[in-house]
Amino acid sequence: MKKLLSLFIVFAVVFSFSACGVGEDDEYDENSLTIMGKKSDLAKSYMTEIFERYKKTAGKNINIISIEDSEYEVEAERRFSEGNIPDIFMHFNNADLNRFDTEDNFCYLNDEKWVDDLTDSAKAYCTDSDGNLLGLPYWESSVSGCYYNKKIFSELGLKPATNQAEFDVLCDALKSIGYTPICWPADGCSWMVQFGLDPVFADDPSILEKINRNEIKYADIPQVNDMVRWIADAADKGWFGNKYLETGMEDISTVMSSGEAAMIFIWDTWFYTDLQKDGKYSVDDFALMPVFMNTAENGTYEGGNLNMMMVNKNSDKKQEALEFLEFCASSDNYNAAFDGISTVSCFKGQTTNIQSHMVTEASMSLAEYERVSTAATRVVGYSAEEVCSSLNKLFKKEISVSKCIELMDEYRIKEARAQGIENF
Amino acid sequence: MKKLIGRILIALSACIICIAAIVIGMFYFNFISSKIYDDSTGHLREIYAQVNRSFGAFVERNWGLIDGWGRYIVVTEHKDTSDGEISDLIKEEKKYWGFSDFYFLSSDKECMTIEGEKNNTDLSEVWDCLSAGEGPVMAGASMSDGKDVTVFAVPVEHGKYKDFGYDAIGVSYTNEDMVKSLKVSAFSGEAMCFVIHNDGKVLLSTQKGGNVFDNYLTYLKAASDISDDEFEQIRKDWDNGKSGLLQCYIGDVDYCILYLPVGYQGYMMLSAVPQSAISAGLISVQHTTTGVLVAIFLLLSAAAITVVVIRSYKQSRKNKMELQYRELMFDVLSNSVDDIFIMLDHKTVSVDYISPNIERLIGIPAKEARKNIRVMEKCAVNFDVVIPKEELDEIPLNGNKCWECEYMHQNTGERRWYRMTVYHMSIQNIEKYIIVLSDRTLDKQMNKQLEDALTAARSANEAKSNFLSNMSHDIRTPMNAIVGFSVLLEKDADKADKVREYTRKITASSHYLLSLINDILDMNKIESGKTSLNIDTFSLPELLEELNIILLPQVKAKHQEFRMHVVGSPPEQITGDKLRLNQILINLLSNAVKYTPNGGNISFDVSTVTPSSNQYVKLKFVVKDNGIGISDEFKEHIFAPFSREVSSVTNKIQGTGLGMAITKNLVDLMGGIIEVESEPGKGSTFTVELTFVCPENDESDSWLENNISRMLVADDEEQVCLNIRELMSDFGVDVDMALNGAEAVEKTVAAHENGKDFDVILLDLKMPGTDGVETAKMIRQKVSSKVPILVLTSNDWTEIEDCARQAGIDAFMAKPFFVSSFRHTIKPLFYDASANNTVGEKEDNSADNVKDVMKGRLFLIVEDNEINSEILSEMLKIEGASSELAVNGQEAVDMFLRSEPGHYDMIFMDVQMPVMNGYDATRKIRASEHPEAKTIPIAAMTANTFDEDVRDALESGMNAHLGKPIDMTAVKELVGKLLGEKEK
Repeated sequence: MKKLLSLFIVFAVVFSFSACGVGEDDEYDENSLTIMGKKSDLAKSYMTEIFERYKKTAGKNINIISIEDSEYEVEAERRFSEGNIPDIFMHFNNADLNRFDTEDNFCYLNDEKWVDDLTDSAKAYCTDSDGNLLGLPYWESSVSGCYYNKKIFSELGLKPATNQAEFDVLCDALKSIGYTPICWPADGCSWMVQFGLDPVFADDPSILEKINRNEIKYADIPQVNDMVRWIADAADKGWFGNKYLETGMEDISTVMSSGEAAMIFIWDTWFYTDLQKDGKYSVDDFALMPVFMNTAENGTYEGGNLNMMMVNKNSDKKQEALEFLEFCASSDNYNAAFDGISTVSCFKGQTTNIQSHMVTEASMSLAEYERVSTAATRVVGYSAEEVCSSLNKLFKKEISVSKCIELMDEYRIKEARAQGIENF
Repeated sequence: MKKLIGRILIALSACIICIAAIVIGMFYFNFISSKIYDDSTGHLREIYAQVNRSFGAFVERNWGLIDGWGRYIVVTEHKDTSDGEISDLIKEEKKYWGFSDFYFLSSDKECMTIEGEKNNTDLSEVWDCLSAGEGPVMAGASMSDGKDVTVFAVPVEHGKYKDFGYDAIGVSYTNEDMVKSLKVSAFSGEAMCFVIHNDGKVLLSTQKGGNVFDNYLTYLKAASDISDDEFEQIRKDWDNGKSGLLQCYIGDVDYCILYLPVGYQGYMMLSAVPQSAISAGLISVQHTTTGVLVAIFLLLSAAAITVVVIRSYKQSRKNKMELQYRELMFDVLSNSVDDIFIMLDHKTVSVDYISPNIERLIGIPAKEARKNIRVMEKCAVNFDVVIPKEELDEIPLNGNKCWECEYMHQNTGERRWYRMTVYHMSIQNIEKYIIVLSDRTLDKQMNKQLEDALTAARSANEAKSNFLSNMSHDIRTPMNAIVGFSVLLEKDADKADKVREYTRKITASSHYLLSLINDILDMNKIESGKTSLNIDTFSLPELLEELNIILLPQVKAKHQEFRMHVVGSPPEQITGDKLRLNQILINLLSNAVKYTPNGGNISFDVSTVTPSSNQYVKLKFVVKDNGIGISDEFKEHIFAPFSREVSSVTNKIQGTGLGMAITKNLVDLMGGIIEVESEPGKGSTFTVELTFVCPENDESDSWLENNISRMLVADDEEQVCLNIRELMSDFGVDVDMALNGAEAVEKTVAAHENGKDFDVILLDLKMPGTDGVETAKMIRQKVSSKVPILVLTSNDWTEIEDCARQAGIDAFMAKPFFVSSFRHTIKPLFYDASANNTVGEKEDNSADNVKDVMKGRLFLIVEDNEINSEILSEMLKIEGASSELAVNGQEAVDMFLRSEPGHYDMIFMDVQMPVMNGYDATRKIRASEHPEAKTIPIAAMTANTFDEDVRDALESGMNAHLGKPIDMTAVKELVGKLLGEKEK
């Protein structure tokens, strides 16, 4: 009887463990590569396509470990702590990646053949602070910048700004005519501030290091002060319109498609996925110029966040994994995988993907002023929502600029402490 | 009214001045504004015409230079070293002229810089112009690094430079450099200047921050309030190369837009200047001027207002001060009078003013009354509501109404009477009630005093009338008897019985008349405050005994029962005015006898009132009868002089109506109280309480010395026995008691048989069964011892004295029992056991001695009145003496001085006499050299009987004072005393 009970318990434990959001290929093959990623990520068409092509072309199987998105970080951390690291691990190059000890666990890929085919922005995204390429970017991406209604600009005889001063003049000119110069959905502006902060941390990595070591705070960084003060002034001058405090993410489509606002800080794919189709203005009426938030004289673009495939340097199948990455980085394969996918190119030879005319038209400017997404991904404890909350208090005149920055710091440090980051 | 009109006129004038100032100001402002606009735009035109000329010159110069360099290049390009020379030349020129690049332009829209760099600049627009055959061109271009430049190009003959075939050459300037020549420092730096192609395309812009305008005409149309017609006009002007000026709003800013043709390729120079910037200087002047004018106007206004305010303030202050002074004066005034002033609001009846003296007059603080006038109700005596609102409402405007009211001071209870007059007044349509509470207290008090005085005067008059009436009656009655019986006496002089009867009646009437006169004089003396007390120590038992003696005949005559009780043990020796006490008690007892019918009962109780001390004793004398009593009405003024109750009974009783008044006054004089309780038909009780000083008791222990240690008291009243036992116990004498005669006999026999005889036996005379005499008789029969037996009685014992003595009674004592009387009575019995004398016997012996004293004496009678001298002379004769007469003092002195020593035994000296009065005569006698000058007894014999008369007599040297009418008993006693002393 005791034996039967023990068996039942073991069975129950095993069953519950296997059912806790972790999905592994039914045909798990110990001799095959193991790749682990979020369930939704692995379900992307270009990912399934490349897996199929690899299976077909190389005649090898792949063990796919698909984890529920909400449990991914916890499960991955558990596995890494147990030494149960997959051959290929998928993750964005952000602050959370620090948990997985990249130096000890992953191969540096600087010398791989396919590296030269990577676009600069993609390469930059996948590189750590020491210049080591951590993974192969294999992901759809977009460009964040200041998208303006070129039709309105043309009707008004205006042209896009090339520097912060011009941008400010532009805003004044638009405001004087009666347009809302910038659509600022304060009730959900979580992504916007990071555009302004990117140049601060991307252009001077030492600032990033110091803030992540808790040696300095936002308040100690002049550019952060400049940015917050500019945002406050812009709001005061009416550049965000009259209803920006009540405007949320769900409202911006109407605002932009109706022509109520002339500019918005957003990413290109939004126009294809969210912009109202039956509005006065369509995606064709928009163009891209850099974001000006008083942190970069000539403005800035934020490059896309890319999911990388990293190779377990301690795996028995390390070589096979590197070969898989090479397979993926082949122009035939990535063009096949990303055929018809609307994204910014990660590879220079990428031709089958669909790139927005806005990005294409601004390619020269992008080449010069695009920066890797840094603030949101690399600053420890950064929380777009908390920054947004601090700014909203500033907009409501509940706090001063300095207090707003102080609050942003408080939230950041609190989050870092919650994550158990050293020095916080 | 005049003031009001004046004020209206002033206000009207001020309004007119203000309106005129505003109109003039506006006119001036418009005029200045118009002038400023004209001047400003003229200024603007001038400035930008100059800028335009400079810019044109710059363009011309560049084209000229390029043309010159073109010619040189053509000449030199055929040389081998041409590229180098050209390059050197251009570089030199570049340094000199400051252009950014030199270009060789090919017809296929390519370009090469002098350094040989190809296509670094987008010159498509330049080529468009060149290909249009417009000759020298100026166009915008963008360099590969994004910088905007302005290119000046000139077509040249086809040539080659560094193998680059070209058809035109040109230079470029960065727009940053270009716009420097367009910037003007005027207009506070707010002016924007554009070089714009006539299609609106912006070539150059001086806008701060950079140019964001692609097509300024488009922007202007979209952003400004320029109408379509105006815009069309601009287009026409620009097409025709005309200049123009317009004013418009871009956004919220008022701009002045000036456009001028540059003169090349349809380029226009446009300046947009905020109106505020153009007019800033002039507006400043305008504002300053306007400000100065406004300031002057305001200053003048302020000065005028200040003057008005100061005057108003001064006036207000003066008024306020006057008001304060008036209030102060009113406060001071009201404090010095007893009138109260109140001002009330007509509607609310709240207090606006109340004079501060209200607290002094009726005890209510003014502050409290100001809060609520109704607090005065607390002090109102004769009405409920202080200010009856209904009645106030009835008072017409400018009318008034009066009330009489009475207030009682809240703290002192003092009453005040007021005449309250309420005036209903109105000043400037504000109605008030002014209340004046006019003090009538003095009037009221005076009236009351007058009324009282009047009542008193009436009463006095009435009393006087009654008195005179009474006196007339009371004096006439005895006088009538005296006169009548005198007539009868003369008529029946030979009938001895009649004479004795008439004489007795005349004597009685005379005594009554004398007592009446004494009472009147006494009363007068007491009322005038001339009565003084003669304080001396006297024996209370003696006084009571004398009272008993005086009263017993009267009581006996009316067959009344009189009982005298001494309760407790009052001191026997007391210090006071015996005479006055005697007078008080005789008055009360005489009245009791008088107003108690025959057979009635009268009691007289003497007791001590606790607490008493060793030094003082308060005695209570109670005279009680069962007589006719006193009505309640008469009781109220029983002590008033000349008051007698009128009734059928009292009318038959003689009386002056002065007795009780004298008694009351004497009691008052002695610091005591007298009370009366009475009920008509049932009797009266008079109680007198008086305090006396107790002299030190120097009694020696005579009882034990006389071997009196046991005694028997027999009295049917046990209380009497107990009193005696208590009194005697203080002296160590045991008292055995018997409540009847038989018991007394029994106890005496028993004591004798036991060998313990009583030392004294005291028997009440009247005992049920065996009376005192019978008891004594039985004791003497059964007991052989010679124990003294005394009888204690409140009755006259003279009638039974002989019988009693035969029965074995040794002496008599009057009730009440006093130890001193007892000692006094018993002493002779123990000193001389064989003697059987009594007090009465002693007195008789004394009287005999006095009688002997008068015999054979010669008296000098000094009397101016013949009748008086004759009466005295006859009376002395009756007593066996003789006399000589002197009719005045001088004659008496002379007679005395002439007399031999021992000739006169004594002098009776009248006081009031002609020639020389008795006092002076006495002094002369005493001062004379006569051997008996100092020793001859002189007695005043005068009708002046007051104490001061006695004193004056003694002071003048007389030995004694005798009052008239002459009482021979008193005369005899005095003579005996004085001559006895002289002879000693």
